[in-house]
Amino acid sequence: MKSIRRGQHLITLMLLLFLAGMAFLIWKLQSEASFYMSHASTTTLGCVYDRNGDVLFDPDATKETYASDHFIDVGNLIGDDSRQMTNTLVSQNMDLLANFSFMLGEHKDGKSSIHTTLDHAVNRRVYNAFGSKNGCAVAYNYVTGEIYVCLSKPSVNVLNNYADIDSLESGSLLCKVFYPTVPGSTQKISTTIAALETMGYDALMEHRYDCKGSYLNVSGQRINCHEESGHGNQNVMEAFSASCNPFYAQLVESKDLPLDDIIHTYKQMGYAVNGSEGTTLNVNGIACAGGSTTLKDADDFDTQWGCMGQGETVVSPLQMMVWQSAVATGTGRATMPYLIDHATKVNGDVTAKAGTKRSGQLFTETTAEAMRTIMNANGEKRYSSLLPGTVVGVKSGTAQVGADKHENSLLTGYVNDVSFPVAFCIVIEDRREGEVSTSQIAAALLQSLKDSLE
Amino acid sequence: MFKNGLSYVRVIVLMLLTHLSMLGIVLVRSTNAENMSDFAVLAGTVIGVDVLCIAVTLFFRQMTYTLDFMLICILNLSLIFQSCFGSIHLSVKHLITCAAAYAACQAGFLLTRNHEWIRTKKKYIYAIIGVLILCILCFTGKRGLWINIGSFSIQPSEFIKPCFVLVCAASIVELHKKIKIGFFYVSKDTLCVCAAALVIFGLQWWCRDLGSLPTFAAVFGCALVCRLCYPKAKISRLGVGIACTVGVLVLILAWNLAPAYVQDRLHVDIWADQYGDGYQQCQALIGIARGGWLGLGPAQGHLHKVFAYESDIVFATICEEWGLLTAFLTVLVILLMLTTVLMNPPKSYYHATMTTGVVAVFIAQMALNIFGSCNLIPFTGVTLPFISMGGSSMLTCGFLVGMLKAGQSPIFRHKEDLPKKRKSAKKKSAPRKIAARKVSA
Repeated sequence: MKSIRRGQHLITLMLLLFLAGMAFLIWKLQSEASFYMSHASTTTLGCVYDRNGDVLFDPDATKETYASDHFIDVGNLIGDDSRQMTNTLVSQNMDLLANFSFMLGEHKDGKSSIHTTLDHAVNRRVYNAFGSKNGCAVAYNYVTGEIYVCLSKPSVNVLNNYADIDSLESGSLLCKVFYPTVPGSTQKISTTIAALETMGYDALMEHRYDCKGSYLNVSGQRINCHEESGHGNQNVMEAFSASCNPFYAQLVESKDLPLDDIIHTYKQMGYAVNGSEGTTLNVNGIACAGGSTTLKDADDFDTQWGCMGQGETVVSPLQMMVWQSAVATGTGRATMPYLIDHATKVNGDVTAKAGTKRSGQLFTETTAEAMRTIMNANGEKRYSSLLPGTVVGVKSGTAQVGADKHENSLLTGYVNDVSFPVAFCIVIEDRREGEVSTSQIAAALLQSLKDSLE
Repeated sequence: MFKNGLSYVRVIVLMLLTHLSMLGIVLVRSTNAENMSDFAVLAGTVIGVDVLCIAVTLFFRQMTYTLDFMLICILNLSLIFQSCFGSIHLSVKHLITCAAAYAACQAGFLLTRNHEWIRTKKKYIYAIIGVLILCILCFTGKRGLWINIGSFSIQPSEFIKPCFVLVCAASIVELHKKIKIGFFYVSKDTLCVCAAALVIFGLQWWCRDLGSLPTFAAVFGCALVCRLCYPKAKISRLGVGIACTVGVLVLILAWNLAPAYVQDRLHVDIWADQYGDGYQQCQALIGIARGGWLGLGPAQGHLHKVFAYESDIVFATICEEWGLLTAFLTVLVILLMLTTVLMNPPKSYYHATMTTGVVAVFIAQMALNIFGSCNLIPFTGVTLPFISMGGSSMLTCGFLVGMLKAGQSPIFRHKEDLPKKRKSAKKKSAPRKIAARKVSA
């Protein structure tokens, strides 16, 4: 009988395992039903709103119900349900928008919706500030993580239903805020952080190097400075402000700043260095690239050039902005950005309420404070007009991009004011002398945002 | 008779109420003037079949009838489901296969209720497996599974399942007959089972019917556990440990060496390939979501336009039209039918191992079908016992339930009652003895 009972136990075990599987399945079906329905052709979706209740996506939108260019500034960020763009807020959050619940089924007049942190009016103003130029801009609250502004030019007008898809400019269907670009001299922020982590502020300030307009490195390769007459003898504060290439080439060569330490700091910050795995960002389902670079030999031109944001170094504008939060807060920990403040279910109940999240320790608090001092000094010296009466810590950059070596202009930084804690990153593509500048767009962005938030 | 907790009258009333309430749902939610006659035919058939099957069942002298009534309940549930997919119509084909399944159940019961008799016929069962394998090799075309005869299709590999369960069942006597191989004493019967399992696994691999392979593996695994745990009357931890290790290694090997089309299914992201390899599962999951807890209503779904809606993804089709609640309750009824083995335990070791194998087949098939169509595990395309459309599957399931019933209503004969001495017994006009209470285990 004991042997027979063993058979019974085996049967009981199989039945229990199956029942456990069924319980898990039911839980999974219940919790993922909205996601499944978001892939059904019959599902009706709710709307997406900005922080002030302005509509950013409406599945029933037409040119009769909205101004013909109402969605142009958020076309490739918010997207639509056509599945032409996959890395957008709508396509990544269709389950939140589906007017459906497992208990009640489909409801054409349901109250499913997404309420974002964007400020559509400001977003639109910044979009218009680009004028005829292409590029992208992003700004967020570096204390809470709310993204206020996020746009990418050229964009797509979803009201045209892709009838003009063949004539769209290249890059119209991508929000370039989330994709890697050559950072130019804004990379010097990361290199300065690496130097601060290794040497400390006082020791770094003692390092002074000459700039005579160009520098012949140990390997005999020439690093040119944008100031042909040279910057003379400088410390890091002056070189950072002058964005002096020879200074940074000599700093990277310095025995006091081993390449391994630079690589270590870069990796801590999330860079993929020499093929290692870097960290990536995710903004409510929207995938965003981090940074990557190749650093092989401190005496080699390519490595020095990489530490100055050229060569193989690429970073996404969002990532550049996020690093500013670690500096601006003085904590060395970044505030993670988000777009969705909350969503409502089909019956109107609030769900998916956002909360502030922070990264791990990217660099020490001491380094963050020192970096803030350096960036604030640069802001006070060169960018005091960005937001009159308020210190804005910034770093500009110029990056040579593409086969034609056209120059992109970049500006990233933060407002050094706890009552208006905004970090930002702006990129203008192929900018020529006399055209709209990143500082003009930054000024428009910050002033509009300040007015709107007040 | 065994005590079953519920009286047979109550069981019958519950069964009839289940069918009547389901027919009521069809009437209220999906019937209109146009299909009223179709509904009347369906309702009449279901009630008629209920009454007829109850009457027929009572002709068989058994210790318990609970399992029979539950089988009738499930078969008619299945008939109602299959008759309402897409539109309301009596599914005559499914009605015939349900009748065949019921007949197969009685056949399975009669053939296996005497454990001593069926044990002596193992060599014939091996022969039947051999014939079925030959049929597959000779008549199914290029590495196929189906034999097509006119408008009928037969899947011989389905019929191997009850045969394999029977050869995996073992009596204590068989397990005691051991031979020495190297340093190990192994029973001859175990070696034969292992050889049969290897041949069947090889055949499944060759036929690319990897959907049925886990079912056979489950039966074989149960047989191995029963055999490893028996000899010392306590669980051989070393034996179970070695068996589990070997099992895991085989699983890893199979996972890595699986052919390309299997690898595709193992790694497919169904939502990224919604209109390719993931089509059926995506549609199934969308259908389940669309149905919610209470369903869209019989004949109101969309899944009947998807391939294999009545077999491979039948769970989702039921969920869409009847709701997840009804689908889950249906699965629960099947599970309850299997738990009758726990309520009325077998009285012989042979029947104990046999019923364990039967339960393994049902659990494995249900898991493969339900979890596969819902993307919890790779989609294999096996049938859901009793619910899916398919003659071969229904016949096999019916026969297996007959075996389950045999474990609960066994016949134990003394040597003088064995078939060869029955003549003298008949001459004396001795009353037919059923179920001696002597337990041989």
